[in-house]
Amino acid sequence: MIAAAGFFADYGLEMLRSTREHMVLTVAAMLVACAIAIPLGVTLARCRSRFLANVVMGLVNVIQPIPSLALVALTVVVFYLINEFLGVRVLATLGMAPALVALVAYAVLPILRNTYTGIRQVDPTVVEVATGMGMTPRQILFVVQLPLALPFIMAGVRIATVWTIGVATLVSLVGAGGLGDLIFRGLSTYRINLILAGAAPAAALALVFDWLLGRLEKWLTPRGMQQTPSP
Amino acid sequence: MIRFENISKQYADGTVAVKNLCLEVQAGETLVLLGTSGSGKTTTMRMVNRLIKPTAGRIEIDGRDITEQDPIALRRRIGYAIQHIGLFPHMTVAENVAVVPKLLEWPRHRIGDRIDELLTMVGLEPGEFRKRLPAHLSGGQKQRIGVARALAADPPIVLMDEPFGALDPITREQLQNEFLDLESVINKTIIFVTHDVFEAVKMGDRVALLDAGGLQQLATPHDLVENPANEFVDQFLGQHRFQLALLTGTVRSIVPEPPPSEPQPAAPAGQGISVRSSLIEALDLFKRTGLDVLGVHDRGAPVGRLSKTALLEAITDVFRRAGSPA
Repeated sequence: MIAAAGFFADYGLEMLRSTREHMVLTVAAMLVACAIAIPLGVTLARCRSRFLANVVMGLVNVIQPIPSLALVALTVVVFYLINEFLGVRVLATLGMAPALVALVAYAVLPILRNTYTGIRQVDPTVVEVATGMGMTPRQILFVVQLPLALPFIMAGVRIATVWTIGVATLVSLVGAGGLGDLIFRGLSTYRINLILAGAAPAAALALVFDWLLGRLEKWLTPRGMQQTPSP
Repeated sequence: MIRFENISKQYADGTVAVKNLCLEVQAGETLVLLGTSGSGKTTTMRMVNRLIKPTAGRIEIDGRDITEQDPIALRRRIGYAIQHIGLFPHMTVAENVAVVPKLLEWPRHRIGDRIDELLTMVGLEPGEFRKRLPAHLSGGQKQRIGVARALAADPPIVLMDEPFGALDPITREQLQNEFLDLESVINKTIIFVTHDVFEAVKMGDRVALLDAGGLQQLATPHDLVENPANEFVDQFLGQHRFQLALLTGTVRSIVPEPPPSEPQPAAPAGQGISVRSSLIEALDLFKRTGLDVLGVHDRGAPVGRLSKTALLEAITDVFRRAGSPA
């Protein structure tokens, strides 16, 4: 008890502050990533020509395997190069800006891929019938395609969120704060309590977000797609 | 009335799906487009609700060129049912049936009444089925919902692409019969696509036989079977000709028209047969009842008598004609 009380007295405030930073980073990155990836995925899936989709999906598949730490570092490099090229320092190479860009780039991937797959897996017969019955393209999207793609999209969002919480521990290295601050400080000074003060909330955040999104997914998923079909 | 005027469809890769098709579908009739896969029958049907755009020619509905109408509004006035049904898996039976009425912004209570009416019409108890999901329906039930959905907004025209194609033979025949009964009540102009010649002669008032995008023959089922227009039609009917002739030959063709003035003897109650019944049905009725003579009626009015001997003679005659070329 006393040990626990001492722990929170030592790190409590910092833990709260870093957790809040971590959540802000994650939520901001996820909102931007969804705002980019879902419309883009829908557009690509509904685009008549497969060419554009193949190009974008190919690009996505190139970024995907880059280790997250390397991606964070590369963002700094890219920002630096842009500044050099322009001859003016337009971009802050450290802090929130490169951190958010790296997080978004990483989170866009699973959402985009799942949105694309989700829309494409909708039975073409169903879309044909919807067209034949006189639905407008907009109605087909909102009444038929999106509800049927929703489980896929939500799965992408869940994966991306859990990843982002993980990658967000690394952006402390470029000075963006978050729980990584505690972890890296603890590691470099070898203070186990400090490491724990960063790592435990990060793990808890991932679990809680995953659970919450799971609930949201269940709540949003149309009833007809929850039960296992029976003959 | 639907009019196809010199309709052709050539795809970008050069395939000609339909060429120079001229066709008129009368109001209230069921026209069957019959043909093998690749004959252009489905393409022809899908041009009516503008899912496919013809490369040449024009299609008129009640004298108006369909390309001058808004495709969305046009489609909402045309019922559409297909083999793969395409029920929306995330919607209940009621929601599926209600799609077009909702698009047309019918008031809520009217949609509710219509759902119950339609489910009853296709033989499904509304209380039991309204809230079910497509995943919890049998193949036959799904198909019934597909038909109900196509009829939902009471469209004057209905397009049906092998609507009973994916069913087992027994369910299929049951649904065909139910649909024939239904059709006599609802009186729609129907374009019905099938590759099954038996289904074609059963469902159609007239049959258009297509091959490689061209119309080979347009005739009543009886005429198609009795007077094939060319070699292709003859071969298409092939070894089924005898069966088809029995199915399409009606009692009317073997019972002489009575002189209009002379009153006919009343048939024994419940033992009559309609002039519109097929020879097969007449044969079945003789077998079932064990009678030697049946009263013949036309819409309930007695018109004559048919003896078993006369029927058997007619059947032998059909056999002789159908068997000879083979």
